Amino acid sequence: MAGPARAPLTPFLRAGSRDALRGSETAQKKAVLVFDGVQKVYRRSGGTDHHVLRGVDLEIERGEFVFVTGASGSGKSTMLKLVYRAEMVDEGRILFCGRDVARLTDDSIPFLRRNLGIVFQDFKIVPTWSVAENVAIALEVIGLSSRLIRQRVAVALERVGLSGRGGDRAGVLSGGEQQRVAIARAIVGEPALVLADEPTGNLDPALALDILGLFEEIHASGTTVMFATHDRTLLDVRQRRILVLDEGRCTDVHTGLDHFGDELDSDLDDSAPRAIVAPTRLRRVG
Amino acid sequence: MSGSIERAKRGLLAEWRLHALSVVSLAVAFVCLGAALLVVVNLHELKERWGKTGRASVYLKDGAAPAQVEALMVALKGTPEVRGVRYLSPQDARAVVFGSSGGDATLKNLPQEAFPASIEIDVAPEIAEAEVQGIVSKIASLPAVDAVETYGTWTARLGSVLHGGTLAAAALAAIVFGAVLAVVGSTMRLALNRRRTEVEVLRLVGASDGFVKTPYVLEGTFQGALGSTVAVGILAFLFFFIRSRLDTELTSLVGLDLTFLPPLVVLGMVATGALLGAMGGALGLRRLTTV
Ligand SMILES: Nc1ncnc2c1ncn2[C@@H]1O[C@H](COP(=O)(O)OP(=O)(O)OP(=O)(O)O)[C@@H](O)[C@H]1O
Ligand SMILES: [Mg+2]
Repeated sequence: MAGPARAPLTPFLRAGSRDALRGSETAQKKAVLVFDGVQKVYRRSGGTDHHVLRGVDLEIERGEFVFVTGASGSGKSTMLKLVYRAEMVDEGRILFCGRDVARLTDDSIPFLRRNLGIVFQDFKIVPTWSVAENVAIALEVIGLSSRLIRQRVAVALERVGLSGRGGDRAGVLSGGEQQRVAIARAIVGEPALVLADEPTGNLDPALALDILGLFEEIHASGTTVMFATHDRTLLDVRQRRILVLDEGRCTDVHTGLDHFGDELDSDLDDSAPRAIVAPTRLRRVG
Repeated sequence: MSGSIERAKRGLLAEWRLHALSVVSLAVAFVCLGAALLVVVNLHELKERWGKTGRASVYLKDGAAPAQVEALMVALKGTPEVRGVRYLSPQDARAVVFGSSGGDATLKNLPQEAFPASIEIDVAPEIAEAEVQGIVSKIASLPAVDAVETYGTWTARLGSVLHGGTLAAAALAAIVFGAVLAVVGSTMRLALNRRRTEVEVLRLVGASDGFVKTPYVLEGTFQGALGSTVAVGILAFLFFFIRSRLDTELTSLVGLDLTFLPPLVVLGMVATGALLGAMGGALGLRRLTTV
């Protein structure tokens, strides 16, 4: 939705660079997100360190839709947290639009996040605010005029199928609707990358597919999406690039529609992590 | 900024019970502080009135000859410790009493003897109490002199009371400061706990630190200012109520004219409330979720 009403560029990205990412042919090939030998260790009080990521390399290009999957505790959320700087890498680099996220000062973290859209399992919307206020906040923090905010919030709500609901208190909405509000908030600022951490985890299967469909529409309009889930059924809907996390390593897989399923299935439903056996389609990155 | 005010307003309205509670506790604290200040201010006033440092009245005998009085005046003027000498005739004394109270029928009927002539002397303030007493006893032994009255002991007593009062007020102020900070801080923390999601959301969409914090600081400022203003209102009401009940004749004779806190002190109290509220608001944010 590249309309005339476009947010002023935040300092995280130099003027022009964001347009370059969206527009020109050469920039098309430029990676939005690069993990370069990323390691993450959680230090536990007991003294035992927990190596969640042991050297992850990957590259996500502009306009890609990527699933991140793996058993519970394999580090999917951690991976996303590293991108939006809720956690810091211990080793390696994470480049977002060419900038090393780990080297950002605390003061520039807000600018990073203004270029990201983040969606969570538990929605994280403010129940006492109206639907429109919940979406508008993403634009208020960058100081857009209220006229522009109203315009763009209306567009975003329409995209998630909530037109006309802007005045409702967000708390009275159903779970599926609340998640749509959260998605509208994530896309209203036209971020370079949308991160979704189990966005369907709290929803029943039919709704989960709805929400996935919404992310696919968003992707179809040109937005890069990184979607973490352990829900098998979602991975099977369409052929997608899948990043599988296992024992601190990330394996890059391109799925077929059905024939890949079984191996992945057994791994995901079994909480004991195991190596993926899908040799013909495995492709390591980096 | 207007967005911050808007959000602060929204927060105050949404949590009005919590905020009302803290405004009330703030008001109570400030009433205590204000009452202490009020006492100090009035004691100070009293001391100013009475304690024109080293003042003494030399009452003259009714039969004192003008020449004797004149000689006494000259002698007093020649004493280095004495700064000023003023003769007060019985008529003058009468005028002093009636001048201020406008004249009361019963008082007007008082005989002329009720107002003895006197010599008012001002002793230099740096002169010690003992020396003043020395001069006084010398004067008292003179034939024309009936009695000498000094206010030194009164002034000294009042001074120590005032000193104690000031210390007590300072101690109260310290306690109030702590209480105000704790109250506003914990209110903010409570409000913040309930609005944890809000702060989390703000952080996630890339709100700057200032954007997140300003509304909370504004809320604190408002609370502090409101609390101290309410306190001033309560104090003023009590003060004027009590003063209207006091016998005006009595107070004017004693020279005690109760005054309310000067405007600058009132302003200072409100400003202090606002400032402390702001600090409390900022302090409550220290445990902000770090997303
Ligand atoms: N702040 C932390 N401190 C210590 N350990 C942590 C912390 N956060 C996560 N972990 C551990 O790191 C591992 C990976 O956690 P993470 O949340 O990334 O897993 P996940 O793949 O998202 O799992 P799930 O599918 O259940 O959401 C887990 O074992 C978890 O216990
Ligand atoms: Mg997770």
